[in-house]
Amino acid sequence: MPRARIIRDMKARATVASSEVVRQAFRYLTHNTALPAKVRAQAQLQLNAFPRDARPTAIHNRCLETGRGRGVLRAFRLCRFQFRLKALEGELPGVRKSTW
Amino acid sequence: MSLSTAPAAKLTLLNKISCAIFGNVYNPQGIRTGNKILRQRLVGPTVNSYYPNVKQVKLREITRMAPEMNLIDQEEKTRLEDLSERKKRGKGPPKKGQGRRSTLKKK
Repeated sequence: MPRARIIRDMKARATVASSEVVRQAFRYLTHNTALPAKVRAQAQLQLNAFPRDARPTAIHNRCLETGRGRGVLRAFRLCRFQFRLKALEGELPGVRKSTW
Repeated sequence: MSLSTAPAAKLTLLNKISCAIFGNVYNPQGIRTGNKILRQRLVGPTVNSYYPNVKQVKLREITRMAPEMNLIDQEEKTRLEDLSERKKRGKGPPKKGQGRRSTLKKK
């Protein structure tokens, strides 16, 4: 079972993906200055009515191993320490230790 | 006549015609139409595929699909044993109307 923080992030991702199209439609209405002010205000209220997980900023890349939210290498989806451990174990293809 | 000395009316006309020819939106005042939001890429599929989709198979699902295998859920078994043990010692749940709250009301 993954960590609670990861589960929370998974939930946020699912919410973002499911509500994205409708949210973008409302965002278009609010950003279109050619539309009447009332329509735009109503679209803004609709945007506020979405769950807080529906915003793309609610998503945070986390470490797959530990669920750590900081120092996560995007390419490997691991935090820096797990990256080091796995790289030294040779579990990450193409990654090798170097000095210079 | 060079372009810089051409009258403004002709320049706007030129702009309009060139927009019509090249399929651009004629928007001389630069009014915000919100088209940039429609142009944005949908991030849902990429965002949703960050975590590997590993489904953990639960023992309960296996027993439901194949009851003839007679698998024993050890955890559940010990839980039920502990419960029956507690009941023997009189530590089980009180009957309806015998709990703390309902006895308080009667007094």
